[in-house]
Amino acid sequence: MPPWLNESLTWGNALVLFLWAVVFLFIVLGFVTYAIYFERKVIGWMQQRVGPNRVGPLGLFQTVADIFKLLIKEDTIPSKADRLLFIIAPALAYIPAFSVLAVLPYTQNLYFADLNVGLLYYVALSGISTLGIVLGGWASNNKYALLGGMRSAAQMISYEVPLVISVVGVILLSGSLNLRDIVAAQDGGWFWNWNFLPQIIGFVVFVIAAVSELNRTPFDLPEAESELVAGYHVEYSGFRFAFFMLSEYVYVYAIAALTTVLFLGGWHAPVPFLDFVPGIVWFLLKFAFIVFFLFWIRATFPRIRVDQLMGLGWKVLLPVSLLNIFLTAAYLELFIKR
Amino acid sequence: MFNIEFSGEFAAFFVFSAIMISGAVLMISLDKVVHMVVSMAAAFLGLAGMFVLLEAEFVAFVQVLIYAGAVSILMIFGIMMTKHQQGEREPVKPLHETLAAVGTLCLFGLLFYAIRSTAFPEPQPFQAAEDNTMAIGQLLYTGYVIPFELLSVLLTVAFIGAIVLAKKEAD
Repeated sequence: MPPWLNESLTWGNALVLFLWAVVFLFIVLGFVTYAIYFERKVIGWMQQRVGPNRVGPLGLFQTVADIFKLLIKEDTIPSKADRLLFIIAPALAYIPAFSVLAVLPYTQNLYFADLNVGLLYYVALSGISTLGIVLGGWASNNKYALLGGMRSAAQMISYEVPLVISVVGVILLSGSLNLRDIVAAQDGGWFWNWNFLPQIIGFVVFVIAAVSELNRTPFDLPEAESELVAGYHVEYSGFRFAFFMLSEYVYVYAIAALTTVLFLGGWHAPVPFLDFVPGIVWFLLKFAFIVFFLFWIRATFPRIRVDQLMGLGWKVLLPVSLLNIFLTAAYLELFIKR
Repeated sequence: MFNIEFSGEFAAFFVFSAIMISGAVLMISLDKVVHMVVSMAAAFLGLAGMFVLLEAEFVAFVQVLIYAGAVSILMIFGIMMTKHQQGEREPVKPLHETLAAVGTLCLFGLLFYAIRSTAFPEPQPFQAAEDNTMAIGQLLYTGYVIPFELLSVLLTVAFIGAIVLAKKEAD
């Protein structure tokens, strides 16, 4: 990628970059398909069930069949709905989800954009998805959808604050907002050079806030099936519903990759003598672990109550993440003069 | 008069201005409040694109984060909480509207003429800082530290004031 990024933009280069984006889109779609399959399988095993096993060998084509079903379903728009917003809301949720993937670096040489404010770009664009969700809930003109949309807005705004503040410690340590520089700053050979140990408070806050940003259990209040039917996307069907689901799982991909980059040392090997293994393998291993961790939480935790949710966000996570900034800054000032 | 070279930058500038202007116009002319907020968010996004063109990435993405994200969502949130009936349209006043249109066109002509006939100093080849985020940070905490702190105090005062006012309402 890097040689193309620094050349001037000609039609040929634009075509190459466009094709790369298309290839990447298909990789992400493949990830989403099999993330859903493994989520169902893993949760099934954890709950002593079998999970999907009917379509194809070991049920491998289950999600493919589900997606096909979604695409050929009738596309309904409620007659009382706000037609225009109802149509653009899924796109508004999905476009930022895919765009944030651009700044994530996979290895030293495999990245799609080298932006000096990469982290800020990620945080800023992921906020736009909330807009799509809220508008989808409002445009459906349905009280459950509206409630789901409202909860989602409240939750995502409240947890975005600790999420952003918890990564400030990482930015302080590496002195850059560029995700590639952040990974490069964690290069010490050993796994204790990765940010998750020096920034353990920030890491814990980040993981909790990230799960909440993803609207996943134990923070899946916006789509709590037993209370709200399905939350903001209750009136959506077929293709548009698929887009909401898709953006949710693309964010799983994004958050897993971001956690790997920020806290788990990106493409670095945990111990120096394992350096011969290519960086992409390490990246994928850490990435897969985070994704598994998200499924694991989903299988084992009950849902948190709506009043406790706000209390946790504002009264616990926010002060703790502020404290983390203070501690990190004090440490850098006292021990590492720059 | 139109000495413009057609480059990718010009095309992007054109697209972003189109987004901003149509967002701003729709914001005023649409009927439903939620639609207005959405078009306003579009105008904010266009503005962020402009900042990117000017190589001010930090400002651009803060713009997206604060305005297009947080402010728009809070506004939609507030609007959804309140009941709003669709207000009936005001009766059309032909004379008033014609005069307004003539006035606006005159203003546009005046501004356009003034801008096009001004001789701008030859632009120096713009050299953005190596890392403008860091440059902003260093300036904020060295040369501009007192205005920065004063602003923080002002924001805190506004914040506490809002809480006090809301408390009074609730009691």
